[in-house]
Amino acid sequence: MWKAYSSDYIKNNRSSGVSVMIAAFVSAVLLSLLCGSFYNMWKYEVERIELEEGGWQSRLTGAFDRQDIETARNFANIREAAIRDGEGAETVMELYFDDYRAVFSDTPRIADQFGVMPEQINYNYALLAMYMIRSPQDTAPRLLFPMFVAILLLASVSLILIIHNSFAVSMNARMHQFGIFASIGATPKQIRACLLQEAAVLCAAPILVGNLLGIAGSMGVIRLSNILLGNDIPGRHEAAFGYHPLVLALTLCATALTVWISAWLPARKLSRLMPLEAIRSTGELQLKRRNNSRVLARLFGVEGELAGNALKAQKKALRTATLSLIFSFMAFTVMQCFFATVQISTRETYFERYQDAWDIMVTVRGAEMDGFEMAGAIRELNGVESAIVYQKALAKTIVTEGEMSGEMKALGGFTHASDQYVTEADGGWLVNAPVIILDDNSFMAYCEQIGAIPQPDGAVVLNRIRDVTNPDFRHPEYMPYIHAQDSEENAASVLRRQGDTETAARIPVLAYTDKVPVLREEYATLDYYELVHFIPVSLWREIKGQIGGTEPDFHICVLGGEHVTLEELDALQSRIDQLLRQTYGTESENRIREYETNGRQIQGMRVIFGGFCVLLAVIGIGDVFTNTVGFVRQRKREFARYMSVGMTPGEIRKMFCVEALVLAGRPVLITLPLAVVAVGFMLKMSYLGAEEFFAETPLAPILFFMLAIWSSVALAYRLGWRSLRRISLTEVLRDDTML
Amino acid sequence: MEILKCEGVRKVYGERSKQVVALDGIDLSVGKGEFVAIVGASGSGKSTLLHILGSVDKPTEGKVLIDGTELSRLNQTQAAIFRRRKVGLVYQFYNLIPTLTARKNILMPLALDKKKPNQEFFEQIVNSLGIADRLEAMPGQLSGGQQQRVAIARSLIYRPALLLADEPTGNLDQRNSKEIIDMLKLLGRSLEQTILLITHDEKVAMEAQRVITVEDGRIISDERRR
Repeated sequence: MWKAYSSDYIKNNRSSGVSVMIAAFVSAVLLSLLCGSFYNMWKYEVERIELEEGGWQSRLTGAFDRQDIETARNFANIREAAIRDGEGAETVMELYFDDYRAVFSDTPRIADQFGVMPEQINYNYALLAMYMIRSPQDTAPRLLFPMFVAILLLASVSLILIIHNSFAVSMNARMHQFGIFASIGATPKQIRACLLQEAAVLCAAPILVGNLLGIAGSMGVIRLSNILLGNDIPGRHEAAFGYHPLVLALTLCATALTVWISAWLPARKLSRLMPLEAIRSTGELQLKRRNNSRVLARLFGVEGELAGNALKAQKKALRTATLSLIFSFMAFTVMQCFFATVQISTRETYFERYQDAWDIMVTVRGAEMDGFEMAGAIRELNGVESAIVYQKALAKTIVTEGEMSGEMKALGGFTHASDQYVTEADGGWLVNAPVIILDDNSFMAYCEQIGAIPQPDGAVVLNRIRDVTNPDFRHPEYMPYIHAQDSEENAASVLRRQGDTETAARIPVLAYTDKVPVLREEYATLDYYELVHFIPVSLWREIKGQIGGTEPDFHICVLGGEHVTLEELDALQSRIDQLLRQTYGTESENRIREYETNGRQIQGMRVIFGGFCVLLAVIGIGDVFTNTVGFVRQRKREFARYMSVGMTPGEIRKMFCVEALVLAGRPVLITLPLAVVAVGFMLKMSYLGAEEFFAETPLAPILFFMLAIWSSVALAYRLGWRSLRRISLTEVLRDDTML
Repeated sequence: MEILKCEGVRKVYGERSKQVVALDGIDLSVGKGEFVAIVGASGSGKSTLLHILGSVDKPTEGKVLIDGTELSRLNQTQAAIFRRRKVGLVYQFYNLIPTLTARKNILMPLALDKKKPNQEFFEQIVNSLGIADRLEAMPGQLSGGQQQRVAIARSLIYRPALLLADEPTGNLDQRNSKEIIDMLKLLGRSLEQTILLITHDEKVAMEAQRVITVEDGRIISDERRR
């Protein structure tokens, strides 16, 4: 009987199930997109670990021969054993397991077999954690899975909160009928089962289609990330899209559970109603207490008041629509403003500030610049205007009270400094002294630029410090750091080894300056008190034994001349890569391409977040459509009443227009002040001027999103009004079955 | 003074073989201040007649004049404004707007014309109907009898030419029914209001000055009482 009743109802009331179907579909798309993207993120991470660290699960260090490898291969669960590095007692045997769960139990046994001590066993914790195999010895936070579970739960709960109302509206519309069923003996369980069966029938296809679309969406996200990041992020390998039947099963389960809970909540409530209570329900809009809509009444007269009251009476039915429209518009607006601020900020602080400092930036991996002989060859390449080879090292130095500049003393000296960076030492303060080692030619050119006598045996000290009391990083104010010694001829600086400040090297200072060489570097960003030293590589060769502390890589900063084009830079980059590749492991960046990549990344993020906002808005708009499609059923009596007391069709239309206006206008009204506050906060945090933001306010996408919401709501109300005005007043007034 | 005049009013529903004649040549004239009851069995056509008189439906043939206005010539908007100003409708199920208070329900026809109520008249009506202390309540908070009183007050607020009541006591208990009819009579007398009441309850009909009996869409008797 239920089957016949439900199938008849679904067949004859297709429109009433639309919002339920949309809700199920959007949930499926979102959850499938989330799971598909996560699976690919996981897959990418596994590939990255295997590329960077290797695909082994555990390895033993000891003395092994071929026989040992064969022995290891004969262990159960071992898929492969191989020797990779080392010699003699330092030979490393990598073990690959069939069953990863056996790694922590079997590896010690294998090690024991070869007489390898437990401390000479290494596990690939990062890789094993990707398969949720953890050891108490691995203390690193592995947050990928907990993060995914948390995000999935959050998404499911949010979706339940949003979409259960669509089910409630659709189910409550038939409360009267279920009251009759209950009065003739249907049990709450039967009613609940009937409602859930209907929900299952309505949602099956949208869930499947939504899941497939979500998979396609995650494929799109991976492709998009490859397009946006693939070729331009140094060291990034291309992500290949993949999917696993288990992921599909998990997604289907998560979607089905989300939709089922969303349907079960209102079904349970409806099935528990007393029969009389349900029969009496007319599905009409009711207000339980006096609730005036003063603003609307003042603005639009009695029609405004009626519209406001009708909206209040439909509060529950329109909750999903209201929430999703408000959140989607708010998220979209704030997101657009956020990305606009990021774009302006990045451009101003990064691209514009360093625009003239570099065109091609090469990072030479795992090498010391003091042995680099190819600077000349690079400078001779066609299209190269200048090339500076440099490496950074970290040293310490002591600044005494007497060395401090008057301006710095006036600001309290080191009183604002954190212990992390500055500590008191004998007769002064021990501060960080980053050493920028330049190739000799570039150092000489720098000396000439600042008016110092070019000599390859001294240092130039960057004598400036930010006003630490002014946090505006965009417009920093500088002052002299140290009191330049009167006779610079005898000026010297003592650089100390980090971690062993007793070991020191005294180097002559050629000049104190507030000018920096043209490099893509920022100084004193975190630690305002560091005293930067620029030294030539010749001097570094002499003192590196005492100081040490170089970074593992060195850099080549190449300028390609004015008005250089992307094509020219691409060609130059490839020539430099070709030159260096034979001898060094390098990664290079190209300024124009990086600028474009940055723009594309922001655009891509905008598209992805915007897509989520659109999906959220679709739920709301779907709900508005369901509501207006249900006008004939829900509001014909209300409509008849208005007509019977003499409201003209024009006045009723005005009332519906006000309703639509409020529904569509509310997200804008709520969002605008919040967006102003959010933008104000963003501008304050990024020290951007309001006029800079206003010049690039993303008005077009926000207006487009707003108009899309407005026109969808207007269309929904137009359709509702069209169906409502066809109703015969006489028939409604005669029809008492509703009461 | 003649307030209502029907000439050869005929109403046919459906087409060709499925045609149903609801009213078949109704001729009727009602004077100002008259209290008329229309009685008849279920399906006799009395509600159709009321709908036509209330301008919510149009006759297939014939003329209906209320206070000099011919209803069949009115378009939808004109008919709505006519209902608002010239006709007060009272239904069995009250038909109050559930989202407005009793006061606002009563003042609704005036509010639609952006008119302010005559406070004295408003008080006279609500006091006569005994709902002065329930004006701020929502319809859902009122009993059936109170809701019907509010509906009557609403129908009278514009001082209509004609008050049409369709089974106004059909959903009320005996005590409330009597009170409502007494109030209608009283208001009819004091305001010189023309009232046309449809009922199948003979006791209620007996309270009217004139009883018209309808059968198969025709008036079969028109009896004036003392």
